[in-house]
Amino acid sequence: MIASVPEPNAAIDGAVEKKLGWAFWLSVAWIGGLALAAVAAPWLPIKDPDVLGAAPRAGLFSDNLLGTDALGRDVLARTVWGARISLGVGSVGIILGLTVGGTLGIISGYFRGVVDQLISFVFFSLLSFPSLVLALLITATLSRSFWTVAMTLGILGIAPIGRLARATTIQFAEREFVQASRVLGAKNGRIIVRELLPNVLIPMGALTLLGMGISIVAEGSLAFLGLSVEGDAISWGKSIVDGSQVRDLTENAHVALVPIVAMFLTVLALNFAGDRLREYTDVKETAF
Amino acid sequence: MAKFLLRRVVQLVAVLLAVTFLAFSALNFLGDPLVNVVGPLAAIPDCDLVEAGLREDTFSTAGNIGDCEVVSRARAQYNLDKSVPERYVRWVGDLLTGDLGSSFQTGLPVSEIVREKMPKSLLLMVMAEIVALAIAIPVGVLAAYRAGRRLDRVTSVGSFGLLSVPNFALGVILLQVFALRNRLLPASFDDSTLWTRLHSLLLPSIVLGLGIAASYQRLLRTDLLTTLQEDFVNMARAKGMPDRHVMVRHALRPSLFSLITLFGLNTGALIGGSLVVERIFSIPGIGSEIVTAVIRDDFPVVLGAVVVIATGFVVINFLVDLLYTWLDPRVRVS
Repeated sequence: MIASVPEPNAAIDGAVEKKLGWAFWLSVAWIGGLALAAVAAPWLPIKDPDVLGAAPRAGLFSDNLLGTDALGRDVLARTVWGARISLGVGSVGIILGLTVGGTLGIISGYFRGVVDQLISFVFFSLLSFPSLVLALLITATLSRSFWTVAMTLGILGIAPIGRLARATTIQFAEREFVQASRVLGAKNGRIIVRELLPNVLIPMGALTLLGMGISIVAEGSLAFLGLSVEGDAISWGKSIVDGSQVRDLTENAHVALVPIVAMFLTVLALNFAGDRLREYTDVKETAF
Repeated sequence: MAKFLLRRVVQLVAVLLAVTFLAFSALNFLGDPLVNVVGPLAAIPDCDLVEAGLREDTFSTAGNIGDCEVVSRARAQYNLDKSVPERYVRWVGDLLTGDLGSSFQTGLPVSEIVREKMPKSLLLMVMAEIVALAIAIPVGVLAAYRAGRRLDRVTSVGSFGLLSVPNFALGVILLQVFALRNRLLPASFDDSTLWTRLHSLLLPSIVLGLGIAASYQRLLRTDLLTTLQEDFVNMARAKGMPDRHVMVRHALRPSLFSLITLFGLNTGALIGGSLVVERIFSIPGIGSEIVTAVIRDDFPVVLGAVVVIATGFVVINFLVDLLYTWLDPRVRVS
């Protein structure tokens, strides 16, 4: 593995020096830069993504830096604008999954008993659907706006996030500092918010990054099933589908390739940063 | 063991009930099946009053008495006049006799549609698993054997990268390179003979298999590295066994355990992936069928296909669980 192995004598010194590494910060910079470009898209010096003016199927480095699609729309502009929806549904989805899944998981892990059994059964049932099939089931009958697609991606996250939150809560619920707080007369609500929540949030950081990558890919899969955001909205998934017609793929594959590369780099960055963050925050790997 | 088995079977039945109920209510509460059968006629406001005999005049705006008859006939035919729980119970009853209802659009029985489309999707998934194992086992063993060396680093980076490539992206790229630009493999499904079927499913199964291979390879490598530390491996080495023999006969076999669990977990991703890959390579499998049914608002087909897929997924995980317990008695205790 690329991860640095701690020096053997470092453990004796008491603390292993841990670093996230330059590749982690590069990943963060890519994601941050992309998010910034997505937000600032209307003011960036790029062409209008919906204007049909230019020559259709223009190659790279023509009038349009990354060429045009079958309708003469600028590929670069569409990719930047596509980031708005792709990153948008991804982050709204994961926030939703974290809020609902995290809350249910903590409740389930803290109170145990019947509540736990009930919530765990719901998680288990949700996980019994292949995730794309579950997404299909929800979006099939709804009108597919930005919010319904984001909500669908959020629902996919509830069970896996909830399970991790539950496991982490159980792990901490009987620790001394929690018992101390209880002995001092703290109510359940206070124990959950002040003692457990901060500890549960730590592994959630890595999961947020990994989950966002999964959500972005899921939007693309939904686009291939014709179930992404409806109408003129531009997303990476929809751009890839647009560029995947046989004629486009044979004559000007870059129409599909540019959003594919954008999505790949983003998912790679999210996976890498998430993985590093998990190693970094994983207490088991610290020497004590 | 019998008690363990019984508990698992009860759990299986409970989950299957929950899954079917979730699917059934999702489609019933989020959408209105009546709209799918009779279209905009479902929106006629006064039909209920007409049926109840409270109103007998014809409507002026949305439709007339004749339309109301269409609506009420459709309601009766598809049991849509009953409440959702009652319909669910009836539907489960039919399901147990193998009756999944019939398509709103074509009138064909859903069970027949599933029986026709499913084998193609299954073949695709089986081929994908074979591709995945054929790549992951040798690469995983080599990577573990050369741990920390260049070969190991290259394959580790490669499989990490491969896990970040969405399968539809891989599908589009491989389609472009191997089917469109160089006509090495067919771009779409050909059902004429067994050979053309396998031949035309090769590229899609590579697309699906590569992603799974990456996750198998990573697990196998880590697992092998742990196994290689064990005493029995040192013992075999000390006896002078050749490396190849130690790797394959002694180390690989116990490491295949965890691959079985991952196989179960991966099945969900495999099913989802095959839905998408079927679209890209125009394979008329169950995935394409669901998508068409969603577009046409064909409620019974969507429900039937989803339930069959989810049931298959639950049952596979159940069997993997049993297999694992049978292979490793330690699990039974906990």
